[in-house]
Amino acid sequence: MIVFDHVTKYYETSDGENLALDDMSLHIKKGEFVFVLGHSGAGKSTFLKMILREEVPTKGNVYVAGLDLVHMKKRDVPYLRRRMGVVFQDFRLIPTMTAYENVAFAMRVTNIPEEEIRVRVPYALSLVGLKEKADRLPEELSGGEQQRVALARAVVHSPKLIIADEPTGNIDPELSKEMMELLQAINNVGPTVVVVTHEHELVQEFDKRVITIEHGKIVSDTGSPEDAGQPGETAIPDGEEALL
Amino acid sequence: MKWSSFKYLVRQGIHSLGTHSMMTFASIGVLTVCLVLTGIAYLFSVNVDSLIDYLGSQNETVVYLSPDLNEEQTAAVDTAIRSISGVSGVEYVSKEDVLSTYKGYMSEQYADLWDAFDNDNPFKANYRVTVKELDDIQRISDELSAIEGVDSVSAPLAMSNVFVQVQDVVTYAGYGLVAVLAVVAVVVISNTIRITVFARRREINIMKYVGATNGFIRLPFFVEGMAAGLISAFIASVIVLGGYWVLTYYSDLVPGFWRSLLSESVVPVTDVWYKVVPAFAAFSVLMGGVGSLVSIRRHLDV
Repeated sequence: MIVFDHVTKYYETSDGENLALDDMSLHIKKGEFVFVLGHSGAGKSTFLKMILREEVPTKGNVYVAGLDLVHMKKRDVPYLRRRMGVVFQDFRLIPTMTAYENVAFAMRVTNIPEEEIRVRVPYALSLVGLKEKADRLPEELSGGEQQRVALARAVVHSPKLIIADEPTGNIDPELSKEMMELLQAINNVGPTVVVVTHEHELVQEFDKRVITIEHGKIVSDTGSPEDAGQPGETAIPDGEEALL
Repeated sequence: MKWSSFKYLVRQGIHSLGTHSMMTFASIGVLTVCLVLTGIAYLFSVNVDSLIDYLGSQNETVVYLSPDLNEEQTAAVDTAIRSISGVSGVEYVSKEDVLSTYKGYMSEQYADLWDAFDNDNPFKANYRVTVKELDDIQRISDELSAIEGVDSVSAPLAMSNVFVQVQDVVTYAGYGLVAVLAVVAVVVISNTIRITVFARRREINIMKYVGATNGFIRLPFFVEGMAAGLISAFIASVIVLGGYWVLTYYSDLVPGFWRSLLSESVVPVTDVWYKVVPAFAAFSVLMGGVGSLVSIRRHLDV
């Protein structure tokens, strides 16, 4: 699903070049649940920006769902993003839209017919337990509720890849566990889930693959538990199918 | 883009006017003020132009006829004068009329002095000619002189030159003022729109992350900008033309000399509204719509 092939990223700053990712290679398979763990400044944000095609590598290649992101045209980027659902730490809900409209928006951008929106949005909101609050504006919801609306928006169009950027960063510890369980439940029905976090304790509660980043490099990769304790796969498989 | 998506985005644009009421108010307010100022400058310039036109048209060119013309020849001169292009008024004054005019200038006790001329009238019959455009007065004067049976032509050439120059200055100053105001309006409005779009950059950013294409994001902003523009054009038209109508309606209350001057030269609202309203609408829709598109561009690169 996600392949980083010797990815290096420098940012131009007033002090010269700042190295954000240093020859990073990894392979996240279809249907995996992966934690990407790292402190602030480790390179997590750049890692995410690469997947969202907000940035392109200085060197190396990034593939998502079989698409070559380095050579992708700008006008094709929206179509890449429609294949994924993203949950941000700060929720990023449109403040003037109700919970329903925020979730529906992710479907409207893909030209999904209104009849289908009317069925799937309430379903997505009921999955996160917010069907009753569909007509509330974001400011009328608690932090945890806003994060669940963001999750409903991320899954409503049935993406194959869910990216969660510090999804528990702005909510209570009890709600954090609930959020992670929701993400696990979503992963169980198929989509690949990548959770980027700095919360070591949270990661330890789940028996999942953990990729740890420091100074733009992968310093450890536990590999998938299903792979019976083998080291994480960082080699680049051949063929386009392997990318999917 | 599907028709249903298009309708949704247009609705979103209109809806945004209400949900971002403070920013809408600021944009419409700024745009309206700019339009009103530009409109006032335009109407002022048009009226000064009309006033000068009116004053200029009061200057008559006098065409003196040869004393020995018979009725038939006089009629031929009459036809020739009326056939000159640019002539707006022709009035025949016989030599008897001239004499009686002069008699009227004298007080009664001396009026008898003119009686001596009753049988030997020294004056010449003449035509009083007014012209439409003062610029044409030299050409018309030359054409009048060339008519057979015309003795001489007395045209207020120096006076008309002054009027033409004043009118040119006023016209260019008017256009210049309108142009300067329009440029100021473009700068102020584009800044206002830039601020409103900047305030919503996060919203645009979110749209990009859920996979909205640039066209999908632009359309509601474009519709919103155009709608705000149309509302501004409507308000500005009501203020400028309504105010102007009230002024022209009450110009009758102005005392004495100014009343007769204004009543002849004020351009009626019926002669300007069809220029002002489309100009306001076109300018504000262009500013609102295109301004939004230009301002949004830098936020789309995510």
